[in-house]
Amino acid sequence: MNGRVKSDERQDEKTTRRDFMSAAAMVAAFTIVPSHVLGGPGRVPPSEKLNIAGVGIGGRGAGDLHEVGSENIVALCDVDDKYAANVFKSYPRAKKYHDFRVMLDKEKNIDAVVIATPDHTHAVIAMDAIKRGKHVYCEKPLAHSIYEVRKLTEAAHQAGVATQLGNQGQASEGTRLVSEFIQAGAIGQVREVHSWCNRPISPRGIDRPKDTPHVPKTLNWDLWLGPAPRRPYHPCYLPFSWRGWWDFGTGVLGDIGCHQLVSIFRALKLGYPTSVEACSSVVNSETAPLASIVRYDFPAREGMPPVKLTWYDGGLMPARPKELEEGLRFGNADDNLFIGEKGKMLGHRLLPEARSKEYGRPPKVLPRSPGHHKEWINACKGGEPAGSNFDLSGPLTEVVLLGNVALRMGQQLYEKGLKLYYDGPNMKVTNLPEANKYIHSQYRKGWSL
Amino acid sequence: MGNKTRQNVVSDGRISRRDFMGAAAAVAAFTVVPRHVLGGPRQIPPSEKVNIAGVGVGGQGGGDINAVSSQNIVALCDVDWNRAGGTFRRYPKARKYKDFRVMLDKEDKNIDAVVVATPDHVHAVASIAAIKRGKHVYCEKPLTHLVYEARMVAEAAREHKVATQMGNQGQASEGTRLMCENIWGGGIGLVREVHVWTDRPLRGLSDVYWPQGVGRPEDAPQAPDTLDWDLWLGPAPRRPYHPAYVPFKWRGWWDFGTGALGDIGCHSIDPVWRALKLKAPLSVHAACTLVNNETYPVASRVTYQFGARGDMPPVKLHWYDGGMRPPRPDELDDGQTFGDNGTMFVGDKGKMLGYRIIPESRRKEFGNAPKVLERSPGHHQEWINACKGGKPAGSNFDHAGPLAECVLLGNVALRPAIKEKLTRVNLLWDSANMKITNVPEANQYLHRQYREGYSL
Repeated sequence: MNGRVKSDERQDEKTTRRDFMSAAAMVAAFTIVPSHVLGGPGRVPPSEKLNIAGVGIGGRGAGDLHEVGSENIVALCDVDDKYAANVFKSYPRAKKYHDFRVMLDKEKNIDAVVIATPDHTHAVIAMDAIKRGKHVYCEKPLAHSIYEVRKLTEAAHQAGVATQLGNQGQASEGTRLVSEFIQAGAIGQVREVHSWCNRPISPRGIDRPKDTPHVPKTLNWDLWLGPAPRRPYHPCYLPFSWRGWWDFGTGVLGDIGCHQLVSIFRALKLGYPTSVEACSSVVNSETAPLASIVRYDFPAREGMPPVKLTWYDGGLMPARPKELEEGLRFGNADDNLFIGEKGKMLGHRLLPEARSKEYGRPPKVLPRSPGHHKEWINACKGGEPAGSNFDLSGPLTEVVLLGNVALRMGQQLYEKGLKLYYDGPNMKVTNLPEANKYIHSQYRKGWSL
Repeated sequence: MGNKTRQNVVSDGRISRRDFMGAAAAVAAFTVVPRHVLGGPRQIPPSEKVNIAGVGVGGQGGGDINAVSSQNIVALCDVDWNRAGGTFRRYPKARKYKDFRVMLDKEDKNIDAVVVATPDHVHAVASIAAIKRGKHVYCEKPLTHLVYEARMVAEAAREHKVATQMGNQGQASEGTRLMCENIWGGGIGLVREVHVWTDRPLRGLSDVYWPQGVGRPEDAPQAPDTLDWDLWLGPAPRRPYHPAYVPFKWRGWWDFGTGALGDIGCHSIDPVWRALKLKAPLSVHAACTLVNNETYPVASRVTYQFGARGDMPPVKLHWYDGGMRPPRPDELDDGQTFGDNGTMFVGDKGKMLGYRIIPESRRKEFGNAPKVLERSPGHHQEWINACKGGKPAGSNFDHAGPLAECVLLGNVALRPAIKEKLTRVNLLWDSANMKITNVPEANQYLHRQYREGYSL
């Protein structure tokens, strides 16, 4: 398993990295070089608590902060006073901010930042934090565009900060079992995988509203927009339903793909695909579709043949495998189906039931996780990199977001009789140049990475 | 081809059938047995014209009537005289009606045959009323609104020995014959998987033909003066008029239409049915977007499992609509379009898109399949010929009934109440007994209660 091997290597380098960091900190103390140029994080010994700031705390952010509640929550930032009110109350000693830039300027004692804003502001916030040498926990998907993800991955790597993407399933027993079954050859070589999720749960395939209600007094709409193009406030965007709007969210694939594809990526050691195609219900320049199917072709990897990965959302899913006995659930909520040359696996359960019983458990070769958020806390204190550190979750997120590029090009693709051919390392669609406009989102004046 | 064989047999028996019919007519003249019990149609010599009535003539019906206008168009019936105006004007000598029941009563002696092109929910009651009076029937696809109706209509047509044709005109095409001949000639080997797809109810990816996935409107506008809303509803449960239903958009509503699958399935699954000699499926499964009890879902995938037929192995047929498609086959070269509507056969020696074998190398290697099927004189002409004692039309109800049943069974799997059940099972289908055997509550969707005044 790629990711795991890499983590182990890094664990061996741990001491070195910590020594270097502390040296860097000493240099900093005697010079006037701003910390973001050096990019080194402050050293926090395991015995001490981290000083954590949260950005975007009203929704998922509240849960993330709770998960890192063993540390000091020193500052909280949200653009929506009403949505965040309860969370602000839960941490009375934390300083409150609306603008993360102001918070990062003023709060010199922050070690780490937890980001759980809408997708379109992940990158600018994470990049600012990384450049200041802060450790970063960022909700999935890592960013709104492929370009942003790449820049964040590079910056975090260079700065040596501890990072974790919010795809907590990566830390689960199930994710490890998937890899161990595949590694043990339980279903033979895998050439086909299906993954599905029954979201969305907010409206899709719709146009921009024409009415322009007043912005609530408790909301800073301009800061909510952040780097996205200006548009009038409307309650159809927030909270939560921004996920369906291309300017802010990344559809179901962005919402769930980083969760659900991670076990596939690890088990099959996936990198960049060679091509991708997509079909869907109504997709327009404003919103993601209600339902879609995205198909990726991955090339052969060390000892593994090429594999086709199909993603379904909106309630679509593959046909029920004949190996699954009548009465056993083949649910539409979310799952993964691996088709191997020697058998099939649903999630981490071998099919049919008889085969699962006969086979039992695969050899336990992968280390287990202390918990997804704990992994990151440990990494912030000099421990080994977290399981979804950006070196691993960056490429995963890029592949997820590439699916959205294909969705937005869907009509043109079938009219032209093409799949999108993709040059992963260079972040480029090679056979349909128009598609490349979706690799990066344009920022409003005043915003940059 | 099973169907073709049957047609030939029937065709060979043509003279006897005509003799029998002649005899039956003679008997009828001397008894008081009502005609619908005997059910024999009038014998029409090829030199004479068929006297045709149309039911539902404003939309596709107008086109169907034009396609049989070489015959006598003697009566036209539509519940919306405004929408039917164009057709009425083209046939000024035809008498006009609003209620097909009244028309059949009054014109019984004057008509030989009926063309039915109403919304789906009226097909069965209109067709059966005509069949029981011994009228030949051309009925638009899908044959009916529900599975049970398709079975009843096909049985009635058989019993009354009328000439029938369903409105899936593609069955008469060269393409359908080439698909069959390529498969039977071994062009792609044995077929275990077929994909059929349409972008409907979408038009491309931005516009829609008709809405699905929506709820019932709450306002109740006045029906136009030219529309008899009660007759439009026909056997369907009463509800207030709304322009969300007529014209055309009824296709998306459970009570009236049959969704994208019903609209297109009888067209595009027909050649698959013939080429693979399909009979009733063993099971059906579906996955789709959010469901409601008013309209069909925005997008769906329906999978049918068919058993082995003769030398042909079991086969899975996957249906996709609402913009969903199967994977683009690797055998296609860049720039070869895959299309927003299509059919793909996956054989063990190659694939076939429509009737085009891919990859190109396999197509060239195989060449042209032997031409074993008779070509059609034209879809509507087939029916006219059959009405005059010629051989049965290509989509006569013995063929179209089971095909329509299969298509409509897919809609049962899309019913909201069945969705959760389908996470644990496929719907197992006992065709002989017309019964879903493992999810008893699904059987209620095979038929429905009609409003008073309507029956099969």
